[in-house]
Amino acid sequence: MDARLRRVNKEIADCKNDKTSNISLELVDNSPFHLKGSFPGPEDTPYQGGHFEVDIIIPDSYPFQPVKMKFITKVYHPNVSSASGAICLDILKDAWSPVLTLKSTLISLQSLLCSPEPNDPQDAEVAKHYTTSKGSFDETARYWTQIYAGGPGPKDVKESRVSGAARDDVAIAGLEKAHVDQFEGIGFPRNKVIDVLRRLNYRGANVAQISEDRIVEELLKP
Amino acid sequence: MDDDDMEMDDYNDDFKLNTGPKRKSYEVDYSSLSQTSVEKSMREDVDHICGILGVESPVAALLLRHQAWNKERLIEKYMETPTTVLVESGATVPEPVAAPTPVRSHSVDKSTASPSSSRRATRSSSKLLSSLTSPTRLSFQKSNSISPSGTASPSKSRKDTKSEEPESFVCPICFDDSPDLKQLALDCGHVACSGCWNAYTTSKIRDEAEHSIRCMTEGCALVASDDFVRNILSDAAPAGTDVHENAVAWSRFQELLVRNFVAANQKLKFCPYPGCTNTVSCPSAAGKSVITSIVPTVSCGARGIPGSSSDKAGSSSSGVLQAREHVFCFGCTIESDHRPVVCAVAKLWLQKCEDDSETANWIKSNTKECSQCQSTIEKNGGCNHMTCKKCKYEFCWVCMGPWSEHGTAWYSCNRYDEKGSIDARDAQSRSRASLERYLHYYNRWANHEQSAKLSVELYAKTEKKMEDMQITSELTWIEVQFMKKAVEEVEKCRMTLKWTYAMAYYLARGNEKDLFEDNQRDLEKAVEDLSELLESPIETENIPTLRQKVTDKTVYVQKRNEIVLEDTATGFQDGRWRWNITVDGFEDPLEDSKVD
Ligand SMILES: [Zn+2]
Ligand SMILES: [Zn+2]
Ligand SMILES: [Zn+2]
Ligand SMILES: [Zn+2]
Ligand SMILES: [Zn+2]
Ligand SMILES: [Zn+2]
Repeated sequence: MDARLRRVNKEIADCKNDKTSNISLELVDNSPFHLKGSFPGPEDTPYQGGHFEVDIIIPDSYPFQPVKMKFITKVYHPNVSSASGAICLDILKDAWSPVLTLKSTLISLQSLLCSPEPNDPQDAEVAKHYTTSKGSFDETARYWTQIYAGGPGPKDVKESRVSGAARDDVAIAGLEKAHVDQFEGIGFPRNKVIDVLRRLNYRGANVAQISEDRIVEELLKP
Repeated sequence: MDDDDMEMDDYNDDFKLNTGPKRKSYEVDYSSLSQTSVEKSMREDVDHICGILGVESPVAALLLRHQAWNKERLIEKYMETPTTVLVESGATVPEPVAAPTPVRSHSVDKSTASPSSSRRATRSSSKLLSSLTSPTRLSFQKSNSISPSGTASPSKSRKDTKSEEPESFVCPICFDDSPDLKQLALDCGHVACSGCWNAYTTSKIRDEAEHSIRCMTEGCALVASDDFVRNILSDAAPAGTDVHENAVAWSRFQELLVRNFVAANQKLKFCPYPGCTNTVSCPSAAGKSVITSIVPTVSCGARGIPGSSSDKAGSSSSGVLQAREHVFCFGCTIESDHRPVVCAVAKLWLQKCEDDSETANWIKSNTKECSQCQSTIEKNGGCNHMTCKKCKYEFCWVCMGPWSEHGTAWYSCNRYDEKGSIDARDAQSRSRASLERYLHYYNRWANHEQSAKLSVELYAKTEKKMEDMQITSELTWIEVQFMKKAVEEVEKCRMTLKWTYAMAYYLARGNEKDLFEDNQRDLEKAVEDLSELLESPIETENIPTLRQKVTDKTVYVQKRNEIVLEDTATGFQDGRWRWNITVDGFEDPLEDSKVD
């Protein structure tokens, strides 16, 4: 039997038999080389209560070259692209070793959620948010967990965010409603305001650093 | 060398490397080395280290690679802390621990793969290992033999060594448990089957261009010796692996080792042409961050690109191009031959072009409008003498002025009369003037580049002409080669001309610059003349005359080119050139010659 196939089949079986890790693997399109992995968000993090799915492609030269993984579930995290789900993690690149497995790699992803590496970011904007205002970052990450990963409703999130079933664009961007309203009130389109404030990292202590003129200047750019 | 030898060189002109006493001022001393001869130098270094440090040659090789082939530093460090140096280079495992523990559990649980499971540090651990079981130094084990560092048995418990019953072996990487599986480990004892080692090694070499093949176990830093790699790609490769693929991987591995050695030595450069494994040694251009007195244009001596379609029928003209000599600059990666201008100035110029590309984009375009009837004209040959197909207006491609004014005197097109123009301009139009000044040089630079590129077509046209000539005249194939020679010369000189404009842009005003531009103009005129002749239609009865003319002009062009290159090169050697801008490695410009 093909060594790669044997190895992957064994890994899938091992994962099924292991009841303690909470890691699951399933085939996509009946191919053992395209899988979907999932795990619960780690406790005591903004990802707690969420269910995170990962797209897994087993390359031809597996396990001698690293497995390709990216998040299917949207995750608000400095080392995960908020747009594409691409992951920045050393073992998925040069630190890969053939003795690592799908399960151990997924466990590493899970622990990446516990300990972000903002100095080696995949998503620079999210990383900025993380380093400048951790509290606000946690809130946004929790909101993402709630709306994208099926996490529980917020316990201490402001009233404005839970009201209404629709997803709150302001909360997704990790911004304050009052700030967005303020510039929307001047006459700029809401989407653009959210975009600019997010890009400028208009959050927490940073708000005092950025003049309103600067924001208007950005908003006026085509 | 005496005079007799010098004359002998004349007969060997085609084969000489630029090392003889007849070297021209614009040439540099260098020699070309084959992969085999670089490997010989590597072996000498390895032997040297073996002798001094008393290690085996596979260990010496790893040590040298880790210290970037700096023998003195390696010896010094090794004398201080041999164990650290050995461990860091991947030659031995850290921390001596008496009893081996099982390598890795069957279930590939991450928790058992901790780096600390590495055991045993031995300076010559390979010896120790072979004394235990393996007859070779490569730790190859027959199946069913006892692994020296414990087996990869499913059990997590520490195994007593030398158990009587051969354990059944399951490869921890691929989970194969066939009884005839060959087990293999580096000195760390992290066992896997030979199939996995083979696939891993091949993948590292082929997919990652990696010569340092580390142990497969996470956290283990041991590096496979060259002997191990060779073996796993040959004798120890499991049945069923592609023999050809193994051979390719092994030869690629050897190339990677040579590249590593060459990269560590400032006197050496690996030939950048695809598929070539030659190295050029050029000590006179080594180790300087900026080379100010020479342009180190070198060649590895080989031609063509292996595996390219050069010998395919019907592509003879591209064949000519693909069979080019492997010429490159030892000092930079800007362009293969940017003579006469030195690397630093060439780099400044390209940076400038990149920055101003928006503004200058329109010039690069291959089409222009006829200044008389406004119809679009496409340039499709190297010659600047354009004739509008529609209105028959004859004009110069570079300046768009009427060709009649150029006539035999093509002066107005290579010089930008800076003095006159500066007088004419007032302070307000300075920035406009500086852009125009730049565009003047850029225009001519881009024109020669484009013309040189179009030489592919010129080659094709010329070959067609050569064939026609054979049919319509008495001339043989050999006798019509003058056309090809002329085309090659034109292309070569256009490259020189191109870079003379980069040089002239930065030259400080004065006599030296005037003389430089005189030489530039003479070459340009000669090249355009010859280029025009090559594109003119051929009448059968005139072929002997044409041949004479082309041959004469080719010789003349060659001479003019020689003059430009010689004069510029001696200027660099004498420190004669002054710039209008600060250039790395040169004196700062005089205040009054500065240009923004
Ligand atoms: Zn195996
Ligand atoms: Zn190892
Ligand atoms: Zn070459
Ligand atoms: Zn150069
Ligand atoms: Zn016209
Ligand atoms: Zn002109």
